[in-house]
Amino acid sequence: MSALYIIAVGLGSAFLLGLLNERQRGLAYMITLAALTIMSAISASWLLIFAATGAHPIDILTAGTQPPFAINLRMGLVESALTLLINLTGLLAAIHMGDSLLAKGRRAMAVLVIAIMALCGIVLTRDIFNLFVFFELIVIATGGLVLLSDADDNGRAVSAGFKYLIVSQFISILLLIGIIFAYHATGTLNIDGMAEIVGSGIKPELATAFSLAFFLMFIAVVAELKPFPANGWALDIYESAHPGFSAIFSAATGSAALFAVDKLLLIGGADWLPVATGIGIVTFVGANLLALPQTNDRRLLGYSSIAQTGLVLTILGQQDILGEHTLFIAGGLLFAHAVAKAGLYWLSDFVATRSLTGWAALQERPLLVFAFVTFAAMLAGLPPFPGFYAKWELVHILAAEGRLALLALILFGALVEAGYLFRWFGYLIKREPDQEVSCNTVQIIPVFAAVLAGWALGFVWGELSGHSNLLLVLPLLFALAFLLLEWAPAWFKNTLAIGGMVTFFLQTYAEYDPLRLIFAVIFMIGGAVTLLASYHAHGRRIGFYPAAMLMFAGMILLIRATDTFGFFASWELLTVGSYFLILRGKHSEPHALSYIIFSLGGAFLILTAFALAAAAVPPAPTFAIASLGELVQPVAPWVFLLLAVGFMTKTAAIGVHIWLPGAHAEAETDVSPMVSGILLKAGLYGLFVLLMTMGKQSLYGVELTYVMLWIGAITALLGNLMAIFQEDAKRLLAYSSIGQMGYAMFGLALMNHLGWLLALMFVINHYIYKSMLFLSVGGVAKRTGTREMYKMGGLITLMPLSFIATLIGIIAVSGVPPLSGFGGRWIFYNAILTADSRLPMVLIFLAGPIAFLYLFRLIHTIFLGQLKDEHRRIKEAPFWIILPQMIYVALLMVVAVVPGMVLRHVDAYISRFFPEGALNWEGMSITSQFGYWNPVAIMIIVGVIFMLLFSWLLFVNRKAQKVKQFNIVFSAERPFRPETTHFAWNFFAPYRKAMGFLVQPFVTRFWETVTDLLHTAADITRRLYNGNGQIYAFHFLVFVVAVFAMKMGI
Amino acid sequence: MAHFAMATGFLLILIGAWGALTNRNLLRMIIAFTIADSGVNLVIIAVGYMHGRTAPILDSAVAAADAVQRIIDPVPQALVLTAIVIGVGVTALMLAYVYRLYEKRRSLDIGDFTELKG
Repeated sequence: MSALYIIAVGLGSAFLLGLLNERQRGLAYMITLAALTIMSAISASWLLIFAATGAHPIDILTAGTQPPFAINLRMGLVESALTLLINLTGLLAAIHMGDSLLAKGRRAMAVLVIAIMALCGIVLTRDIFNLFVFFELIVIATGGLVLLSDADDNGRAVSAGFKYLIVSQFISILLLIGIIFAYHATGTLNIDGMAEIVGSGIKPELATAFSLAFFLMFIAVVAELKPFPANGWALDIYESAHPGFSAIFSAATGSAALFAVDKLLLIGGADWLPVATGIGIVTFVGANLLALPQTNDRRLLGYSSIAQTGLVLTILGQQDILGEHTLFIAGGLLFAHAVAKAGLYWLSDFVATRSLTGWAALQERPLLVFAFVTFAAMLAGLPPFPGFYAKWELVHILAAEGRLALLALILFGALVEAGYLFRWFGYLIKREPDQEVSCNTVQIIPVFAAVLAGWALGFVWGELSGHSNLLLVLPLLFALAFLLLEWAPAWFKNTLAIGGMVTFFLQTYAEYDPLRLIFAVIFMIGGAVTLLASYHAHGRRIGFYPAAMLMFAGMILLIRATDTFGFFASWELLTVGSYFLILRGKHSEPHALSYIIFSLGGAFLILTAFALAAAAVPPAPTFAIASLGELVQPVAPWVFLLLAVGFMTKTAAIGVHIWLPGAHAEAETDVSPMVSGILLKAGLYGLFVLLMTMGKQSLYGVELTYVMLWIGAITALLGNLMAIFQEDAKRLLAYSSIGQMGYAMFGLALMNHLGWLLALMFVINHYIYKSMLFLSVGGVAKRTGTREMYKMGGLITLMPLSFIATLIGIIAVSGVPPLSGFGGRWIFYNAILTADSRLPMVLIFLAGPIAFLYLFRLIHTIFLGQLKDEHRRIKEAPFWIILPQMIYVALLMVVAVVPGMVLRHVDAYISRFFPEGALNWEGMSITSQFGYWNPVAIMIIVGVIFMLLFSWLLFVNRKAQKVKQFNIVFSAERPFRPETTHFAWNFFAPYRKAMGFLVQPFVTRFWETVTDLLHTAADITRRLYNGNGQIYAFHFLVFVVAVFAMKMGI
Repeated sequence: MAHFAMATGFLLILIGAWGALTNRNLLRMIIAFTIADSGVNLVIIAVGYMHGRTAPILDSAVAAADAVQRIIDPVPQALVLTAIVIGVGVTALMLAYVYRLYEKRRSLDIGDFTELKG
């Protein structure tokens, strides 16, 4: 069916609607839906033809004459996709606005159909004046719809529509003058004809006039994109119009206008690409910044729409280097934006109040939350959605062409955008809902149509990407399958999750080299063991399993990844999964937000590094991670630096650590061990891979591994120092993780055999004991209802198993004999004997005893001392929380007695990189060049000493009187005193006096200042938008002049 | 003649734009826009004008055969008709808006409609 019928059906049905009786509203609505359905079907059929056959675009002649003597339309792949988007948005919007349209009557419906028809016209037409006519139709239709859809009836939408009309008048004046002079200079109104004439050279006497005319046309069409900062008029419409219509305004109008700009760029040629880029990137960054302080949901979506349009404009401006990829990139971003934004606008209709926090109402409806997550992920460009593939491609090409400033701006804007989107999601999940969701079944249809479209687009872009389609990757599919199982009870899902991970491990373990095998065991088997604790949860536990399995899928894919694409995609998956998981904690909203922002920031650094690396070698569709090693100066150190910082955000190195304590401490009982014991290893894995492939690098004469050594040492010291001043047991453990990761990094950065062995030892040990400690402390917190240690005490008799786990755990962490921590220490001492960096070593040495200070408090304050009166009746932690702890105890013992079981293989593997310094694993003892360590002997010796001392203690105290708690003559502590005078509160006050200056929250303050600055800058800029339509028109003119001046200056 | 018309057209556009930016009264703004629209139309016509030629109407006075040499460019004339129609439509719509705004607020001052901002 000819594409002309899209226009014909639109116009025809609009006229037909005009002929109807005012009372035949049902019939009118049916006609509207039918017309939009037919228009969509025509577009869809063309899209299928073009996608299947790759046919060339078809020109549709009107008036039976060739262009330029008559207008011609063109239908091709892009046109069919865009008109399908526009028509479907129109159809779904009509469904969404059903009630409203029926109330307003046939006129509103006719205007809606005309608007959609005109948008299709903008896409299809190849005539510049016809383009103007369609734009004017849009203006009139928009004005009409806004006038008819003043939803809350307070005139706000009407005044917004008037501002829109004022600016539109200016735009159309510029456009018309531009068109007539362009016609004068070229003698044609046909876009392709004009482009041809410009391409073959305009007569010199007309060249200036033409470039001026082109500028006017160009700026007028660009203005339809609502470029920052000349866009106050459009924002008011976004905010005040019926959300069903705002969806069209955002998704369809924006897309059509972008295509119009692309047509103009065809005429203007390469000269104008930088202008498009400039306007686009300023809009992208500016609008995203201004979205930060917004509190009105629809206005925020408006800013975000403008930003996304700006990004696509930037890409159109980069088509000189993007070439054939332009379509893939621009299309991916545009469709992701359009689908998500339309979905969010429709979703906003279910929320009664216009504040972002009002969206908490959706909490009760998991399906709607899922819809929101889909849309937010699409906008943020997360896998597996089209924006992700597009971003990957875009960053690679920009890096290859050396357009690094633009690349940095795009990533910065994207980070800001992710910031406000995830903050919003945090509100949605964590704030108290203050009203009900109001929606009917019909209104849900468009939202879920958008959700489906989003996933489908993700699949299509995955297929087109030339990389592996993430939606076909088994672990991810397994994780997503849990979305369909949300109705099932938690125990069932838990069993399935554990079974799945163990099975996958058994299927694949033979594929890993020893190093990866360690990580594989921790991720899959370790994950399964930790999940045992999740059996204690009752009910359905909605949202937990998809998130957890997404994280595990990401980690599994990470170790299986061989190329940079797979690595980065899994990195993002595990980040997102763990974010959802962390957000589940009761008070974790701000911490989850800072986690995701730091993680995405780190991910962008990794992405940039991969892109730079790929740019430095001959072009290939994929870049194997192993090829990182082939990089040379001057790129190599930069790649190293970016990757190292990216991975360090995950291991919470000092400076980028501030997200960790809150995120780990506030997480749920069984989540803390997952994100601490297991997830942190992903960062270490990254560092391992980095050092294995790239080795030592130096930048400006500074050896980067040496810097890492220092960072590791300082992180170890400060992490431990901060841990000793915590009152909250889980926070203490969280800070301790920072310190432990510092040790591991230090070991890695030593760049010798033993250093790496040490780091691996930390990988294994930290997983075991931190999971165990988080579980036991979590179990205690569950029973006592508090995490403040000074509010506990004397739990040793009530919770003996938790006590044993904690005791074993702290012996292991503190690295005293006989447990595995000592093995770590022993390797460590050997390692530093072979290294030559003395000063950081001193710091690391200092950190050791400090670790003991805080660990000791766990036993001393929680399990020893006086039992609190209110805890008299508490029981041991639930069975399912204890069970994994006992498994860990057993594991720790095994690792302590036969460390060689695992480590000798790794030792042999590391010898590939550092042949020198390997240990000798003969017999029961392990020999280095400095000495030997016999775990069994040490265990026996320590055991004997312990038994001797213990029996002696029992013997000398045989006549001692047992002191009961309320025997205040003997017990040091008087009950019922205010808790702040508790002896365990501020336990290390003297140390704080001495070393407190080291743990001042400098870093936190730094990042807070950065955020504040962004907000303040946005708030100041916001004042430009004072609400006066005349001022907005003035902004627009100033914008035109400014762009002109810059273009002439270029 | 053509230059004079074109200069007048641009002058009208400037007057209109100035009026729309400086008058706070909604009705005056609309009138300013119609002045600017007239200016645009004049400019379009002036661009199509060719000295010494006649109107692009093919009748007994101008034969189709030598029309190319004798008539002015008809395209701008066709365009201006469309532009006038669109201008009327937009003006009507703006007037409808003013009517509605006045109904809501009893005010015609653009400064009274600034509740949406930031």
